[in-house]
Amino acid sequence: MNVIETKKLTKYYGKSRGIIEVDINVEDGEIYGFIGPNGAGKSTTIRVLLSLIYATSGTATIFGKDVVKFGPEIKKEIGYLPGEVFYYDTMRVKDLLNYSASFYKKDCSKRIKELAGIMSLELDKRIDDLSYGNKKKVGIVLGLLHEPKLIILDEPTGGLDPLMQQTFFNLVREENKKGATVFLSSHILSEVQRLCDKVAIIKEGKIVKIEKMSDLAQSNYSKIKVESKAAIPEGYFDMAGVSGLKTENHSTTFMFKGDINSVTKKIAALDLVSLFVEEPDLEDIFLHYYQ
Amino acid sequence: MNIYLRELKARRKSIIFWSIGLFLMDAASMNKFAGFEKSGQATQVFAAFPKGLARAFGLGNVDINTALGWFAMAFMYLLVLVAIHASLLGAGILAEEEQDKTAEFLYAKPISRAKVVTEKLLAALTLIIILNIVTLLSSISMVAAFNKGVSPTQEILLMMAGMFVVQIIFMVIGSAAAAIVRKPKYAGAAASAIMFATFFLSLWLDITEKLPWLKYFTPFKYFDAKIIANHAKFDYAFIVISIGVIIAMLTMTYVSYNARDLKI
Repeated sequence: MNVIETKKLTKYYGKSRGIIEVDINVEDGEIYGFIGPNGAGKSTTIRVLLSLIYATSGTATIFGKDVVKFGPEIKKEIGYLPGEVFYYDTMRVKDLLNYSASFYKKDCSKRIKELAGIMSLELDKRIDDLSYGNKKKVGIVLGLLHEPKLIILDEPTGGLDPLMQQTFFNLVREENKKGATVFLSSHILSEVQRLCDKVAIIKEGKIVKIEKMSDLAQSNYSKIKVESKAAIPEGYFDMAGVSGLKTENHSTTFMFKGDINSVTKKIAALDLVSLFVEEPDLEDIFLHYYQ
Repeated sequence: MNIYLRELKARRKSIIFWSIGLFLMDAASMNKFAGFEKSGQATQVFAAFPKGLARAFGLGNVDINTALGWFAMAFMYLLVLVAIHASLLGAGILAEEEQDKTAEFLYAKPISRAKVVTEKLLAALTLIIILNIVTLLSSISMVAAFNKGVSPTQEILLMMAGMFVVQIIFMVIGSAAAAIVRKPKYAGAAASAIMFATFFLSLWLDITEKLPWLKYFTPFKYFDAKIIANHAKFDYAFIVISIGVIIAMLTMTYVSYNARDLKI
Protein backbone atom coordinates (compact mmCIF):
# COMPACT_ATOMS: atom_id res chain seq x y z
CA MET A 1 0.00 0.00 0.00
CA ASN A 2 1.16 3.51 -0.68
CA VAL A 3 1.41 5.52 2.49
CA ILE A 4 1.73 8.78 0.58
CA GLU A 5 0.41 9.17 -2.91
CA THR A 6 0.16 12.40 -4.88
CA LYS A 7 -1.23 12.82 -8.36
CA LYS A 8 -0.40 15.92 -10.36
CA LEU A 9 -0.25 17.82 -7.09
CA THR A 10 0.03 21.51 -7.89
CA LYS A 11 0.21 24.55 -5.67
CA TYR A 12 0.43 28.16 -6.72
CA TYR A 13 0.66 31.02 -4.24
CA GLY A 14 -1.32 33.55 -6.22
CA LYS A 15 0.77 33.65 -9.37
CA SER A 16 4.02 32.44 -7.90
CA ARG A 17 4.96 28.81 -8.30
CA GLY A 18 4.95 26.39 -5.40
CA ILE A 19 4.92 22.93 -6.93
CA ILE A 20 3.79 21.72 -10.33
CA GLU A 21 2.25 18.31 -11.02
CA VAL A 22 4.15 16.44 -8.38
CA ASP A 23 3.64 12.66 -8.50
CA ILE A 24 5.15 10.67 -5.68
CA ASN A 25 4.38 7.29 -4.16
CA VAL A 26 5.82 6.43 -0.81
CA GLU A 27 5.40 2.80 0.05
CA ASP A 28 4.80 1.34 3.47
CA GLY A 29 8.01 0.91 5.43
CA GLU A 30 10.19 3.00 3.14
CA ILE A 31 12.56 5.76 4.07
CA TYR A 32 11.87 8.15 1.24
CA GLY A 33 14.18 11.05 0.50
CA PHE A 34 13.01 14.26 -1.05
CA ILE A 35 15.86 16.43 -2.18
CA GLY A 36 16.26 19.71 -3.92
CA PRO A 37 17.69 23.15 -3.27
CA ASN A 38 15.97 25.74 -1.11
CA GLY A 39 12.85 27.07 -2.75
CA ALA A 40 12.34 24.00 -4.93
CA GLY A 41 9.00 23.18 -3.29
CA LYS A 42 9.87 20.62 -0.63
CA SER A 43 8.17 22.41 2.26
CA THR A 44 5.23 23.34 0.04
CA THR A 45 4.66 19.66 -0.74
CA ILE A 46 4.80 18.74 2.93
CA ARG A 47 2.46 21.53 3.97
CA VAL A 48 -0.08 20.43 1.38
CA LEU A 49 0.20 16.87 2.69
CA LEU A 50 -0.57 18.17 6.17
CA SER A 51 -3.37 20.40 4.80
CA LEU A 52 -1.78 23.46 6.37
CA ILE A 53 -2.22 24.89 2.89
CA TYR A 54 -4.48 23.63 0.13
CA ALA A 55 -3.49 22.36 -3.29
CA THR A 56 -4.47 24.39 -6.35
CA SER A 57 -5.09 21.18 -8.26
CA GLY A 58 -4.26 17.50 -8.14
CA THR A 59 -4.81 15.09 -5.28
CA ALA A 60 -2.88 13.83 -2.30
CA THR A 61 -3.70 10.88 -0.11
CA ILE A 62 -2.08 9.51 3.02
CA PHE A 63 -2.94 5.96 4.15
CA GLY A 64 -5.25 5.98 1.13
CA LYS A 65 -7.33 8.88 2.46
CA ASP A 66 -7.67 12.37 1.07
CA VAL A 67 -5.45 14.73 3.04
CA VAL A 68 -8.01 17.53 3.29
CA LYS A 69 -11.17 15.56 3.90
CA PHE A 70 -9.64 13.21 6.44
CA GLY A 71 -6.96 15.59 7.73
CA PRO A 72 -7.57 15.23 11.46
CA GLU A 73 -7.96 11.46 11.23
CA ILE A 74 -4.80 10.97 9.18
CA LYS A 75 -2.75 13.18 11.46
CA LYS A 76 -3.30 10.83 14.39
CA GLU A 77 -0.64 8.66 12.81
CA ILE A 78 1.70 11.35 11.51
CA GLY A 79 4.70 12.72 13.31
CA TYR A 80 5.98 15.96 11.85
CA LEU A 81 9.22 17.82 12.37
CA PRO A 82 9.10 21.20 10.61
CA GLY A 83 12.15 22.80 9.06
CA GLU A 84 12.04 25.71 11.44
CA VAL A 85 10.74 25.09 14.92
CA PHE A 86 8.66 27.60 16.83
CA TYR A 87 6.84 26.87 20.06
CA TYR A 88 4.97 28.75 22.77
CA ASP A 89 7.76 30.77 24.35
CA THR A 90 6.44 30.89 27.87
CA MET A 91 5.76 27.18 28.20
CA ARG A 92 8.12 24.76 29.86
CA VAL A 93 9.47 21.90 27.78
CA LYS A 94 7.58 19.23 29.73
CA ASP A 95 4.33 21.20 29.55
CA LEU A 96 4.73 21.55 25.80
CA LEU A 97 5.39 17.83 25.44
CA ASN A 98 2.34 16.99 27.54
CA TYR A 99 0.24 19.51 25.62
CA SER A 100 1.30 17.90 22.37
CA ALA A 101 0.58 14.43 23.75
CA SER A 102 -2.89 15.53 24.84
CA PHE A 103 -3.95 15.68 21.19
CA TYR A 104 -3.41 11.96 20.76
CA LYS A 105 -5.74 9.68 22.56
CA LYS A 106 -3.09 7.53 24.13
CA ASP A 107 -0.64 7.56 26.99
CA CYS A 108 2.66 8.93 25.73
CA SER A 109 4.35 9.55 29.07
CA LYS A 110 6.68 6.58 28.87
CA ARG A 111 7.78 7.40 25.34
CA ILE A 112 8.31 11.06 26.28
CA LYS A 113 10.67 10.01 29.08
CA GLU A 114 12.56 7.67 26.78
CA LEU A 115 12.94 10.18 23.98
CA ALA A 116 13.86 13.04 26.31
CA GLY A 117 16.58 10.81 27.69
CA ILE A 118 17.92 9.90 24.27
CA MET A 119 17.92 13.51 23.10
CA SER A 120 19.16 14.72 26.53
CA LEU A 121 16.44 17.36 26.89
CA GLU A 122 16.10 19.59 29.90
CA LEU A 123 12.43 19.25 30.68
CA ASP A 124 12.09 22.08 33.17
CA LYS A 125 13.48 24.82 30.96
CA ARG A 126 11.26 27.40 29.36
CA ILE A 127 11.06 27.32 25.57
CA ASP A 128 12.43 30.84 25.19
CA ASP A 129 15.51 29.88 27.22
CA LEU A 130 16.45 27.16 24.74
CA SER A 131 19.03 27.47 21.98
CA TYR A 132 17.88 26.76 18.45
CA GLY A 133 19.51 23.33 18.50
CA ASN A 134 17.71 22.47 21.73
CA LYS A 135 14.39 23.63 20.30
CA LYS A 136 15.05 21.33 17.39
CA LYS A 137 15.56 18.50 19.83
CA VAL A 138 12.21 19.33 21.40
CA GLY A 139 10.78 19.18 17.87
CA ILE A 140 12.19 15.71 17.35
CA VAL A 141 10.63 14.44 20.57
CA LEU A 142 7.33 16.12 19.62
CA GLY A 143 7.44 14.39 16.26
CA LEU A 144 7.97 10.94 17.70
CA LEU A 145 6.25 10.86 21.08
CA HIS A 146 3.00 9.33 19.83
CA GLU A 147 4.76 6.56 17.90
CA PRO A 148 3.42 7.61 14.51
CA LYS A 149 3.16 5.30 11.50
CA LEU A 150 4.36 8.05 9.18
CA ILE A 151 7.19 10.36 10.11
CA ILE A 152 7.58 13.52 8.02
CA LEU A 153 10.86 15.34 8.45
CA ASP A 154 11.51 18.67 6.78
CA GLU A 155 15.21 19.53 6.78
CA PRO A 156 15.61 17.75 10.10
CA THR A 157 19.27 18.24 10.90
CA GLY A 158 19.64 22.01 10.68
CA GLY A 159 20.85 23.28 14.03
CA LEU A 160 21.87 19.85 15.34
CA ASP A 161 25.51 19.10 16.06
CA PRO A 162 26.99 16.06 14.28
CA LEU A 163 26.72 13.88 17.37
CA MET A 164 23.04 14.70 17.79
CA GLN A 165 22.49 14.14 14.08
CA GLN A 166 23.84 10.65 14.51
CA THR A 167 21.60 10.01 17.50
CA PHE A 168 18.67 11.35 15.57
CA PHE A 169 19.34 9.21 12.51
CA ASN A 170 19.63 6.12 14.68
CA LEU A 171 16.30 7.02 16.22
CA VAL A 172 14.70 7.36 12.80
CA ARG A 173 16.16 4.06 11.65
CA GLU A 174 14.83 2.38 14.77
CA GLU A 175 11.35 3.75 14.19
CA ASN A 176 11.60 2.57 10.62
CA LYS A 177 12.56 -0.92 11.75
CA LYS A 178 9.52 -0.92 14.01
CA GLY A 179 7.43 -0.29 10.91
CA ALA A 180 7.21 3.48 10.51
CA THR A 181 7.40 4.98 7.06
CA VAL A 182 9.67 8.00 6.80
CA PHE A 183 9.46 10.92 4.41
CA LEU A 184 12.53 13.10 4.67
CA SER A 185 13.13 16.31 2.82
CA SER A 186 16.58 17.80 2.66
CA HIS A 187 18.98 19.82 0.63
CA ILE A 188 21.87 18.06 2.30
CA LEU A 189 22.54 15.05 0.15
CA SER A 190 24.77 13.11 2.47
CA GLU A 191 21.97 12.75 5.01
CA VAL A 192 19.59 11.47 2.38
CA GLN A 193 22.29 9.13 1.17
CA ARG A 194 22.86 7.79 4.66
CA LEU A 195 19.25 7.12 5.40
CA CYS A 196 17.00 6.67 2.39
CA ASP A 197 15.88 3.75 0.25
CA LYS A 198 14.39 5.85 -2.48
CA VAL A 199 14.81 9.43 -3.49
CA ALA A 200 12.80 11.98 -5.45
CA ILE A 201 14.65 14.96 -6.81
CA ILE A 202 12.68 18.18 -7.06
CA LYS A 203 13.75 21.23 -9.00
CA GLU A 204 11.81 24.44 -9.45
CA GLY A 205 8.61 22.81 -8.28
CA LYS A 206 8.82 19.77 -10.54
CA ILE A 207 9.99 16.25 -9.83
CA VAL A 208 13.02 15.68 -12.00
CA LYS A 209 13.71 12.09 -11.16
CA ILE A 210 12.72 9.34 -8.78
CA GLU A 211 15.17 6.53 -8.21
CA LYS A 212 16.12 3.84 -5.80
CA MET A 213 19.09 5.00 -3.81
CA SER A 214 21.04 1.91 -4.85
CA ASP A 215 20.39 2.59 -8.54
CA LEU A 216 21.35 6.18 -8.16
CA ALA A 217 24.59 5.38 -6.38
CA GLN A 218 25.45 2.60 -8.81
CA SER A 219 24.88 4.55 -11.95
CA ASN A 220 28.02 3.83 -13.91
CA TYR A 221 29.44 7.27 -13.65
CA SER A 222 32.97 7.69 -12.45
CA LYS A 223 34.30 10.86 -11.00
CA ILE A 224 37.81 11.45 -12.23
CA LYS A 225 40.30 13.96 -10.94
CA VAL A 226 43.62 14.36 -12.71
CA GLU A 227 46.54 16.50 -11.60
CA SER A 228 49.41 16.79 -14.03
CA LYS A 229 52.88 18.41 -14.01
CA ALA A 230 52.30 20.44 -17.16
CA ALA A 231 49.09 22.21 -18.03
CA ILE A 232 46.60 19.96 -19.75
CA PRO A 233 45.90 21.31 -23.24
CA GLU A 234 42.42 22.68 -23.73
CA GLY A 235 40.10 20.16 -25.31
CA TYR A 236 42.32 17.23 -24.31
CA PHE A 237 39.38 15.41 -22.76
CA ASP A 238 36.94 16.24 -25.54
CA MET A 239 35.55 12.77 -25.99
CA ALA A 240 32.35 10.77 -25.70
CA GLY A 241 31.19 10.14 -22.12
CA VAL A 242 32.88 13.11 -20.50
CA SER A 243 30.73 15.68 -18.75
CA GLY A 244 31.03 18.43 -16.19
CA LEU A 245 34.63 19.12 -17.12
CA LYS A 246 36.40 21.64 -14.89
CA THR A 247 40.01 22.69 -15.18
CA GLU A 248 41.82 24.69 -12.58
CA ASN A 249 45.54 25.29 -13.04
CA HIS A 250 46.97 21.82 -13.57
CA SER A 251 44.09 19.89 -12.15
CA THR A 252 41.05 18.70 -14.04
CA THR A 253 37.88 17.02 -12.79
CA PHE A 254 35.08 15.50 -14.79
CA MET A 255 32.40 12.82 -14.75
CA PHE A 256 32.81 9.92 -17.06
CA LYS A 257 30.34 7.37 -18.34
CA GLY A 258 31.28 4.69 -20.88
CA ASP A 259 34.29 2.46 -21.58
CA ILE A 260 36.76 3.34 -18.85
CA ASN A 261 39.68 2.11 -21.00
CA SER A 262 39.23 4.89 -23.49
CA VAL A 263 39.81 7.47 -20.81
CA THR A 264 42.60 5.70 -18.94
CA LYS A 265 44.58 5.57 -22.17
CA LYS A 266 44.27 9.29 -22.51
CA ILE A 267 45.27 9.81 -18.90
CA ALA A 268 48.24 7.47 -19.25
CA ALA A 269 49.70 9.78 -21.86
CA LEU A 270 49.91 12.60 -19.31
CA ASP A 271 52.72 13.18 -16.85
CA LEU A 272 50.72 12.85 -13.65
CA VAL A 273 51.09 14.19 -10.13
CA SER A 274 47.97 12.42 -8.87
CA LEU A 275 44.89 10.60 -10.09
CA PHE A 276 41.58 9.90 -8.36
CA VAL A 277 38.84 7.71 -9.76
CA GLU A 278 35.83 7.70 -7.45
CA GLU A 279 32.28 6.52 -7.39
CA PRO A 280 30.31 9.75 -7.56
CA ASP A 281 28.44 10.69 -4.42
CA LEU A 282 24.90 11.95 -4.55
CA GLU A 283 26.19 15.50 -4.59
CA ASP A 284 27.78 14.94 -7.99
CA ILE A 285 24.81 13.11 -9.39
CA PHE A 286 22.61 15.84 -8.02
CA LEU A 287 24.64 18.54 -9.70
CA HIS A 288 24.41 16.52 -12.84
CA TYR A 289 20.60 16.73 -12.79
CA TYR A 290 20.72 20.38 -12.06
CA GLN A 291 22.83 21.39 -15.00
CA MET B 1 -10.45 21.01 25.95
CA ASN B 2 -6.65 21.14 25.88
CA ILE B 3 -6.52 24.22 23.62
CA TYR B 4 -9.12 25.98 25.75
CA LEU B 5 -7.14 25.37 28.91
CA ARG B 6 -3.83 26.41 27.36
CA GLU B 7 -5.34 29.66 26.14
CA LEU B 8 -6.73 30.50 29.57
CA LYS B 9 -3.41 29.73 31.19
CA ALA B 10 -1.46 31.80 28.67
CA ARG B 11 -3.79 34.75 29.18
CA ARG B 12 -4.24 34.78 32.93
CA LYS B 13 -1.80 37.66 33.49
CA SER B 14 -3.45 39.79 30.86
CA ILE B 15 -6.93 39.25 32.28
CA ILE B 16 -5.71 40.20 35.75
CA PHE B 17 -4.32 43.49 34.40
CA TRP B 18 -7.49 44.23 32.49
CA SER B 19 -9.59 43.49 35.57
CA ILE B 20 -7.51 45.84 37.69
CA GLY B 21 -7.74 48.47 34.97
CA LEU B 22 -11.52 48.24 34.75
CA PHE B 23 -11.86 48.36 38.52
CA LEU B 24 -9.67 51.47 38.75
CA MET B 25 -11.55 53.15 35.95
CA ASP B 26 -14.81 52.40 37.72
CA ALA B 27 -13.50 53.65 41.06
CA ALA B 28 -11.98 56.78 39.57
CA SER B 29 -15.12 57.85 37.75
CA MET B 30 -17.34 57.33 40.75
CA ASN B 31 -14.80 59.17 42.88
CA LYS B 32 -15.16 62.16 40.58
CA PHE B 33 -18.87 62.00 41.17
CA ALA B 34 -18.24 62.22 44.89
CA GLY B 35 -16.24 65.38 44.31
CA PHE B 36 -18.97 67.02 42.27
CA GLU B 37 -21.68 65.83 44.60
CA LYS B 38 -19.99 67.48 47.57
CA SER B 39 -19.96 70.83 45.85
CA GLY B 40 -23.32 70.10 44.25
CA GLN B 41 -22.06 71.56 41.03
CA ALA B 42 -22.06 68.71 38.56
CA THR B 43 -24.94 70.04 36.56
CA GLN B 44 -23.66 73.58 36.60
CA VAL B 45 -20.19 72.63 35.43
CA PHE B 46 -21.50 70.68 32.50
CA ALA B 47 -24.25 73.16 31.79
CA ALA B 48 -21.50 75.57 30.84
CA PHE B 49 -20.40 73.18 28.10
CA PRO B 50 -21.63 73.75 24.58
CA LYS B 51 -24.44 71.33 23.89
CA GLY B 52 -22.57 69.26 21.33
CA LEU B 53 -19.54 68.89 23.56
CA ALA B 54 -21.67 67.90 26.52
CA ARG B 55 -23.22 65.15 24.43
CA ALA B 56 -19.77 64.01 23.34
CA PHE B 57 -19.00 63.46 27.03
CA GLY B 58 -21.97 61.17 27.22
CA LEU B 59 -24.25 63.67 28.86
CA GLY B 60 -27.64 63.27 27.40
CA ASN B 61 -31.01 62.98 28.92
CA VAL B 62 -29.71 61.73 32.18
CA ASP B 63 -29.50 63.27 35.62
CA ILE B 64 -25.83 63.33 36.55
CA ASN B 65 -26.61 64.48 40.04
CA THR B 66 -27.58 60.94 40.93
CA ALA B 67 -24.99 58.21 41.29
CA LEU B 68 -26.76 56.07 38.72
CA GLY B 69 -27.01 58.93 36.22
CA TRP B 70 -23.35 59.69 36.65
CA PHE B 71 -22.51 56.03 36.26
CA ALA B 72 -24.58 55.86 33.06
CA MET B 73 -22.35 58.61 31.67
CA ALA B 74 -19.16 56.91 32.83
CA PHE B 75 -20.43 53.60 31.46
CA MET B 76 -19.53 54.73 27.94
CA TYR B 77 -15.84 54.76 28.87
CA LEU B 78 -16.02 51.35 30.48
CA LEU B 79 -17.71 50.13 27.33
CA VAL B 80 -14.88 51.45 25.15
CA LEU B 81 -12.33 49.68 27.32
CA VAL B 82 -14.04 46.30 27.24
CA ALA B 83 -14.64 46.72 23.50
CA ILE B 84 -10.90 47.23 22.93
CA HIS B 85 -10.23 44.18 25.07
CA ALA B 86 -12.76 42.04 23.19
CA SER B 87 -11.56 43.15 19.73
CA LEU B 88 -7.91 42.45 20.48
CA LEU B 89 -8.74 39.20 22.21
CA GLY B 90 -10.96 37.89 19.41
CA ALA B 91 -8.39 38.80 16.76
CA GLY B 92 -5.34 37.77 18.77
CA ILE B 93 -6.52 34.41 19.96
CA LEU B 94 -6.84 33.21 16.36
CA ALA B 95 -4.04 35.19 14.73
CA GLU B 96 -1.38 34.48 17.32
CA GLU B 97 -0.70 30.93 16.21
CA GLU B 98 0.26 32.22 12.79
CA GLN B 99 1.98 35.33 14.07
CA ASP B 100 4.13 33.39 16.54
CA LYS B 101 4.60 30.64 13.94
CA THR B 102 3.16 27.98 16.21
CA ALA B 103 0.48 27.23 13.61
CA GLU B 104 2.69 24.56 12.08
CA PHE B 105 2.90 22.84 15.46
CA LEU B 106 -0.80 23.07 16.22
CA TYR B 107 -2.30 22.17 12.87
CA ALA B 108 -0.09 19.12 12.38
CA LYS B 109 -2.06 17.68 15.31
CA PRO B 110 -5.13 15.52 14.72
CA ILE B 111 -7.61 18.35 15.12
CA SER B 112 -9.82 20.21 12.68
CA ARG B 113 -9.57 23.96 12.26
CA ALA B 114 -13.21 24.29 13.29
CA LYS B 115 -12.47 22.56 16.58
CA VAL B 116 -9.52 24.87 17.19
CA VAL B 117 -11.69 27.93 16.49
CA THR B 118 -14.40 26.63 18.81
CA GLU B 119 -12.05 26.03 21.72
CA LYS B 120 -10.33 29.37 21.23
CA LEU B 121 -13.57 31.29 21.05
CA LEU B 122 -14.82 29.52 24.17
CA ALA B 123 -11.63 30.58 25.94
CA ALA B 124 -12.13 34.16 24.76
CA LEU B 125 -15.75 34.04 25.88
CA THR B 126 -14.67 32.86 29.32
CA LEU B 127 -12.25 35.77 29.64
CA ILE B 128 -14.92 38.18 28.51
CA ILE B 129 -17.32 36.85 31.12
CA ILE B 130 -14.64 37.24 33.79
CA LEU B 131 -14.04 40.86 32.79
CA ASN B 132 -17.77 41.51 32.70
CA ILE B 133 -18.30 40.08 36.16
CA VAL B 134 -15.39 42.09 37.54
CA THR B 135 -16.90 45.25 36.05
CA LEU B 136 -20.34 44.33 37.33
CA LEU B 137 -19.17 43.76 40.89
CA SER B 138 -17.00 46.85 41.01
CA SER B 139 -19.79 48.94 39.47
CA ILE B 140 -22.41 47.77 41.95
CA SER B 141 -20.11 48.31 44.90
CA MET B 142 -18.83 51.67 43.65
CA VAL B 143 -22.24 53.07 42.87
CA ALA B 144 -23.50 51.80 46.22
CA ALA B 145 -20.56 53.43 47.97
CA PHE B 146 -21.51 56.82 46.55
CA ASN B 147 -25.24 56.33 46.72
CA LYS B 148 -25.59 56.12 50.49
CA GLY B 149 -25.20 52.36 50.44
CA VAL B 150 -28.08 51.72 48.05
CA SER B 151 -27.24 50.36 44.65
CA PRO B 152 -29.66 50.41 41.73
CA THR B 153 -28.66 46.82 41.02
CA GLN B 154 -31.28 46.12 38.40
CA GLU B 155 -30.20 48.98 36.11
CA ILE B 156 -26.54 48.09 36.50
CA LEU B 157 -27.28 44.43 35.75
CA LEU B 158 -29.05 45.50 32.59
CA MET B 159 -26.16 47.72 31.54
CA MET B 160 -23.71 44.89 32.12
CA ALA B 161 -25.90 42.50 30.15
CA GLY B 162 -25.76 45.05 27.33
CA MET B 163 -22.02 45.36 27.79
CA PHE B 164 -21.71 41.59 27.53
CA VAL B 165 -23.49 41.56 24.18
CA VAL B 166 -21.24 44.38 22.91
CA GLN B 167 -18.19 42.43 24.10
CA ILE B 168 -19.29 39.36 22.18
CA ILE B 169 -19.95 41.42 19.06
CA PHE B 170 -16.43 42.87 19.11
CA MET B 171 -14.89 39.54 19.94
CA VAL B 172 -16.44 37.90 16.87
CA ILE B 173 -15.61 40.93 14.70
CA GLY B 174 -12.02 40.35 15.87
CA SER B 175 -12.07 36.63 15.10
CA ALA B 176 -13.63 37.26 11.69
CA ALA B 177 -10.87 39.79 10.97
CA ALA B 178 -8.24 37.23 11.95
CA ALA B 179 -9.88 34.63 9.72
CA ILE B 180 -10.07 36.94 6.73
CA VAL B 181 -6.96 39.15 6.62
CA ARG B 182 -4.04 37.87 4.61
CA LYS B 183 -1.42 38.87 7.15
CA PRO B 184 -2.20 37.79 10.71
CA LYS B 185 -0.29 40.73 12.21
CA TYR B 186 -2.93 43.09 10.81
CA ALA B 187 -5.84 41.21 12.42
CA GLY B 188 -5.71 43.16 15.69
CA ALA B 189 -5.29 46.46 13.86
CA ALA B 190 -8.24 45.72 11.57
CA ALA B 191 -10.45 44.76 14.52
CA SER B 192 -9.48 47.86 16.51
CA ALA B 193 -10.03 50.05 13.47
CA ILE B 194 -13.61 48.78 13.18
CA MET B 195 -14.07 49.24 16.92
CA PHE B 196 -12.91 52.87 16.89
CA ALA B 197 -14.80 53.66 13.71
CA THR B 198 -18.06 52.49 15.27
CA PHE B 199 -17.24 54.31 18.50
CA PHE B 200 -16.67 57.61 16.72
CA LEU B 201 -19.80 57.04 14.71
CA SER B 202 -21.76 56.75 17.95
CA LEU B 203 -20.11 59.94 19.27
CA TRP B 204 -20.93 61.73 16.05
CA LEU B 205 -24.53 60.56 16.29
CA ASP B 206 -24.70 61.89 19.87
CA ILE B 207 -23.27 65.26 18.90
CA THR B 208 -25.11 65.96 15.68
CA GLU B 209 -28.33 64.01 16.26
CA LYS B 210 -28.46 63.63 12.49
CA LEU B 211 -29.09 60.49 10.43
CA PRO B 212 -30.51 58.51 13.37
CA TRP B 213 -30.79 55.32 11.31
CA LEU B 214 -26.99 55.07 11.39
CA LYS B 215 -27.31 53.88 14.99
CA TYR B 216 -27.89 50.38 13.63
CA PHE B 217 -24.29 50.37 12.44
CA THR B 218 -22.61 50.95 15.78
CA PRO B 219 -22.82 48.47 18.64
CA PHE B 220 -22.12 51.37 21.01
CA LYS B 221 -25.67 52.51 20.39
CA TYR B 222 -27.30 49.14 20.89
CA PHE B 223 -27.53 49.28 24.66
CA ASP B 224 -27.72 52.92 25.58
CA ALA B 225 -26.94 53.30 29.27
CA LYS B 226 -28.88 56.54 29.49
CA ILE B 227 -32.06 54.85 28.36
CA ILE B 228 -31.44 51.96 30.72
CA ALA B 229 -30.84 54.39 33.61
CA ASN B 230 -34.10 56.16 32.94
CA HIS B 231 -36.33 53.28 31.95
CA ALA B 232 -34.62 50.12 33.22
CA LYS B 233 -35.09 48.31 29.91
CA PHE B 234 -33.44 47.54 26.56
CA ASP B 235 -34.58 48.28 23.09
CA TYR B 236 -35.24 44.70 22.04
CA ALA B 237 -34.76 45.41 18.34
CA PHE B 238 -31.07 45.75 19.10
CA ILE B 239 -30.93 42.31 20.66
CA VAL B 240 -32.22 40.85 17.42
CA ILE B 241 -29.67 42.88 15.44
CA SER B 242 -26.89 41.82 17.80
CA ILE B 243 -27.72 38.16 17.41
CA GLY B 244 -27.71 38.64 13.62
CA VAL B 245 -24.31 40.34 13.68
CA ILE B 246 -22.84 37.67 15.95
CA ILE B 247 -24.10 34.82 13.77
CA ALA B 248 -22.80 36.52 10.62
CA MET B 249 -19.36 37.12 12.12
CA LEU B 250 -19.13 33.59 13.49
CA THR B 251 -20.02 32.17 10.11
CA MET B 252 -17.36 34.31 8.47
CA THR B 253 -14.82 33.20 11.07
CA TYR B 254 -15.43 29.49 10.59
CA VAL B 255 -15.82 29.53 6.82
CA SER B 256 -12.89 31.81 5.98
CA TYR B 257 -10.52 30.27 8.49
CA ASN B 258 -11.23 26.80 7.21
CA ALA B 259 -10.93 27.75 3.55
CA ARG B 260 -7.68 29.64 3.49
CA ASP B 261 -4.04 28.66 3.55
CA LEU B 262 -2.40 29.09 6.91
CA LYS B 263 0.34 31.68 6.95
CA ILE B 264 3.46 29.85 7.99
